[in-house]
Amino acid sequence: MLPWNYGFHLDAGHIVFLGAFYTVLVIVATTLVSAALRSRQDLRSRKLERIRWHSEFNDLPARDRACRHVLTGELESRECPHSFDCRECETHARLVEGHPVAAGEEEEIFGMSFPLDRLYHRGHTWVRPESDGTVTVGLDDLGSRLLGTPGQVALPPVGSQIEVNGTAFRVHKHGADVRVLSPVEGEVLEAGAPGAGWYLRVRPAASGEPAFRHLLRGAEVRPWLMRELERLQLTLTAEGAAPALADGGVPIADMSQAYPQADWDAVCGEMFLEG
Amino acid sequence: MRRIPSPGSTKPERRTTVDRQLIPRGVKRCSTGKFLLWILPWAALLAFGLYSAGLCLVKGLNQTNMDNRFAFGLWIFLDLTVIALGAGAFFTGFLLYILKLKELRAVINSAVVIGLVCYTGAVCVLAVDVGQPLRAWFTFWYPNVHSMLTEVTFCISCYLTVLAIEYVPIVLKNRKLRQVPSFLVFEFELHKLVYVLAGVGTFLSFFHQGSLGGLYGVLRGRPFAFREGFAVWPSTFFLFILSAAAVGPSFILLTTWLVEKISRKNLVRPEVFGLLGRISGLLLAVYVLAKTVDTLIWINRTSPEIGFPAAQYYSWQPFGTWILFAEIVLFGLVPALILLAPQLRARTGWLVAAAAMACAGVALNRFVMTVQTLALPTLSFDRYLSYFPSWQETGTFLAVVAFGVLVYSFSFRYFQLFPSERELKFGAAAVRER
Repeated sequence: MLPWNYGFHLDAGHIVFLGAFYTVLVIVATTLVSAALRSRQDLRSRKLERIRWHSEFNDLPARDRACRHVLTGELESRECPHSFDCRECETHARLVEGHPVAAGEEEEIFGMSFPLDRLYHRGHTWVRPESDGTVTVGLDDLGSRLLGTPGQVALPPVGSQIEVNGTAFRVHKHGADVRVLSPVEGEVLEAGAPGAGWYLRVRPAASGEPAFRHLLRGAEVRPWLMRELERLQLTLTAEGAAPALADGGVPIADMSQAYPQADWDAVCGEMFLEG
Repeated sequence: MRRIPSPGSTKPERRTTVDRQLIPRGVKRCSTGKFLLWILPWAALLAFGLYSAGLCLVKGLNQTNMDNRFAFGLWIFLDLTVIALGAGAFFTGFLLYILKLKELRAVINSAVVIGLVCYTGAVCVLAVDVGQPLRAWFTFWYPNVHSMLTEVTFCISCYLTVLAIEYVPIVLKNRKLRQVPSFLVFEFELHKLVYVLAGVGTFLSFFHQGSLGGLYGVLRGRPFAFREGFAVWPSTFFLFILSAAAVGPSFILLTTWLVEKISRKNLVRPEVFGLLGRISGLLLAVYVLAKTVDTLIWINRTSPEIGFPAAQYYSWQPFGTWILFAEIVLFGLVPALILLAPQLRARTGWLVAAAAMACAGVALNRFVMTVQTLALPTLSFDRYLSYFPSWQETGTFLAVVAFGVLVYSFSFRYFQLFPSERELKFGAAAVRER
């Protein structure tokens, strides 16, 4: 085994065989130690939320990872390579530069309210810029109808930092424990409540258009919502609810009450992009 | 996080069991009661097997029907077979992480679990077979570097470690465990380095699969097994590597199909089954060709040159020439042709039957190399030996099977073994909608 062991000879056989063996051991140990050190570094540099989202994003079915420009029909097929963070996407910047997103024309889409003064995140939250430079965050109408009146909401404490695609808050409803993705990065100034119509008031870490480039707006909302309703229809069917949302219908106010037999943990996980 | 109850909520929150909380989100699993009913007989079988193995360890190998002349029996046959079948883990990892065959992501987790089960079973049975587990470290500390068995021991131990490390991200990805921040981050970082482990696994598997074959090929005193070769490696070294790589994907295909049938769920896309079948068929065809050439050289040159006409090996019943035909043609060429024919491969029945035949073929090959080799007389005063395993040997063998089923069942229930499962469920829902 080692030069000082009984039976060890300094010959080609020992050197080649034990050399290969030790090399393998060193590689395996280095891999483990490297993963452990990187993990410690990640935790220290507060990358937990980013890693959680990257991990969950990679686990999403390919159709759910579609680029926003596929939803609008600008591109035929493209999987988002930036985990829905268009702020760092060159393709998005180029496409928007060539064809700026048209302003929305309607506040009511498929019977749901999507006011034009807000920007929308693909995890079913909205952001409304306020006049004092802060932003208000809330659940969009489809998200609200999915969760109905939440059983319990876990909101971040005032003064804490939230980041894009990290956890904004958690909602418990009908056996489901849902992590709602944050649409913005910044400091929490105030916490709302489900009944208030909003959940968080945030001082964004950056201001201006680039800070909100990843959010859907104007004419983008309708095709995205259409895709979301299709997804919801499939999810409800797959999770044990009766076939739902026939053409022309409007989602009811509290879907989980209407289909108590469905696996709402799975439905909400799917719709709120949680793995 | 500050928890606030919603004022509008009047109904108490539905409680979920711990078992339910551990099951991946969005996949359906049977009830806890049904699951317990499923694992109960396997747990009983494992307990019986552990008792059998315990007897062998405490009372010695006199509990088996092996002796100094017939030193390899059911256990070594089992070891060789499960190690060959478990090759799906290294080969799938190689194809996915090194050759970037992304489609195989759908089965890689399952392949790792199967590999881990196979290699753990093999190492445990070897520990019972060696009979002195407390001195197991001797083989590492005082290695005979000229022995194929030493290489096998080193490589299998290392590869089992690699498989255990590859299993860690699968476990840590469990829904409940990933709520622990350090687990989530470690799983993420380890997964990023998994290609290194895949490379190491391929290197180790290549050599120990080969050395398992090589240790028969170098048996000059056993002309039935002895083969010529290249440098220090007899031809069996290469044939074992090739056959293991060929049946590994077939075994993954077979087990996935079985799990689909038992759980009554679609777990992978038909194209993945087809791809596994095509890879397996291609390699099996190359193996059959190589095995045929090797057998012809052995019949016409190697064996006669050391004074043994090959025909005499097959004069001892029940090991007639039928076994050679079954090994090369029935369970080699036939499944290879089926797997290579696109029309047949497209039919699940043919595909699964061919995969099962390929797996049976490699098991038969390992049986022939282990049992037939030792049963045949070599010296003039030798007699033809027969061997039948004792109940303690059989019990230990069954313990490995039960252990495998239990580990796989728990892994399937609580971990995401098939990443496409959720997506396929939505596909089925879309069909129902229409």
